[in-house]
Amino acid sequence: MIDRREPAQARDSVVVWQLALGVALLAAWEALGRSGGERWVSEPSLIAVKIWTWLGGSLYVHLWATVAELVVGFVIGTSLGILAGMIVGRSPGLATILRPIIVGLYSVPLVSLAPLFIMFLGWGLLPKIVLVAIVTFFLLFFNTFTGAERIDRDLVESMEIMGANRREIFRKVVAPAISVWIVGGMKIAVPYALVATVTGELLATRAGLGYLLSQATEQFDMTSIYAVLLILMVIGLLLSEAAARIERRVLRWRHAAE
Amino acid sequence: MDRMTRAAAQAQRSAPAETKIRLVGAAKTFRVRGSELEALRPVDLEVGREEFVALVGPSGCGKSTILNLVAGLMAPSAGRVLYDGQEVTGPNRRVGYLTQKDTLLPWRATADNIRIALELKCRATPRAEASERVAEMMDLVGLKGFEHHYPAELSGGMRKRAALARTLIYEPETLLMDEPFGALDAQLKLLMLDQLQRLTQHRRMTVIFVTHDLGEAITLADRIVVISARPGRIRAIHDVRLERPRDVFKVRFTEGFARQHERLWDELKDDIAKGTDV
Repeated sequence: MIDRREPAQARDSVVVWQLALGVALLAAWEALGRSGGERWVSEPSLIAVKIWTWLGGSLYVHLWATVAELVVGFVIGTSLGILAGMIVGRSPGLATILRPIIVGLYSVPLVSLAPLFIMFLGWGLLPKIVLVAIVTFFLLFFNTFTGAERIDRDLVESMEIMGANRREIFRKVVAPAISVWIVGGMKIAVPYALVATVTGELLATRAGLGYLLSQATEQFDMTSIYAVLLILMVIGLLLSEAAARIERRVLRWRHAAE
Repeated sequence: MDRMTRAAAQAQRSAPAETKIRLVGAAKTFRVRGSELEALRPVDLEVGREEFVALVGPSGCGKSTILNLVAGLMAPSAGRVLYDGQEVTGPNRRVGYLTQKDTLLPWRATADNIRIALELKCRATPRAEASERVAEMMDLVGLKGFEHHYPAELSGGMRKRAALARTLIYEPETLLMDEPFGALDAQLKLLMLDQLQRLTQHRRMTVIFVTHDLGEAITLADRIVVISARPGRIRAIHDVRLERPRDVFKVRFTEGFARQHERLWDELKDDIAKGTDV
């Protein structure tokens, strides 16, 4: 195997440059704000103070609402998507019948369904959970379905000849083969789920980061808008990093070859 | 050569020729884009218990089709395939099948791939014993040190050997092998032929071995079945009258080997020319 890691020194200097660039950008932003642009771009120092105040108490209700919607919706959508993908993917007849219907449904931009769910389900957490669940459902469904369809017949046959029963074939061949596609689907679904959550909250809600955002907009409070965006960015980064870690772990054998 | 192997070889010669595998007018036709492709003309073939039969012939002559029929992965379009007198109707679990394409599971490290047959309920093996046998097998096929490598990290020849080890480890009573040593260099090939001869005699296995290497066939087989170019049919069956156990490394320099080789070559040369432009 070729070791592609750069020497430690080179890596350190990259980090130094990145930090320097970050500080420079913040300084420029601050300068822009203080030289009269505050009304539009706010200032990093004000944003920091704002987040600090929020961390003292009022942020948690909103953070909790957003994270709860996201996680519950994601778990429901993922489980149902995997289940449906397995069932349809393993029965070719069903796949032929359902394919046009599912493709049709998927062609609707899913976040545009948000108003519909708000009308049906009110202002609570539920419409957002349903929206996130539907978005993740489709992504996981398509990936699982494709994975189930593409299972290598030769691998299954070789196990059959060795004497494996149906359960063993499922555990040793089908499940690991599909898990590649499932993990890939989950990784794609994470940012979509975050978009769906915030979109739902922007439209109608009494709590959540999207609610904070729309409140701030109504009051022309640029500092709060930037503060929320910053918090959303951190959440997005954390989620993507978690997904990437899970992927690396589950698909170790794939990365081994690269 | 150890005493056990010699005894097994003796037993093999004196045992009554009991039929293990029988093809009765077995034929196979494929449908390819609406037209029919005749892969195998009706074939009659009997393989005795503990017999080592090699199938030789030009590429695309239906050798692999015969293995697929015996393994129960394909149903014959006509005729019957019998194993121990019973018609083969589904995947044949009495055989070990080493296909041309290796079917290692990409998400399992080499040692775990080789172990897989021992994990199955039908031959559940205690963990310690399984590990011991895996280590033995890895050593046998020269993969020691690659236990934790994934198939994607192995070369083609190494994957072939891993697949061979995975099949041999559970000692199936019958081995079906489809050009198992094609990807190996000459030296390693001889070593593997030697090991294969030892193991199949020792474990008293029945073997059908597909190859396009006449030397390989003469070195190992009791009988060599020559198959003609597509559509495949049996052109001739040769007995190999060389003493067993054979010295894999030296047998090719004996007179008997040379004569056998010449006869086979005469049989095959026209077809090989034909086979290449199919």
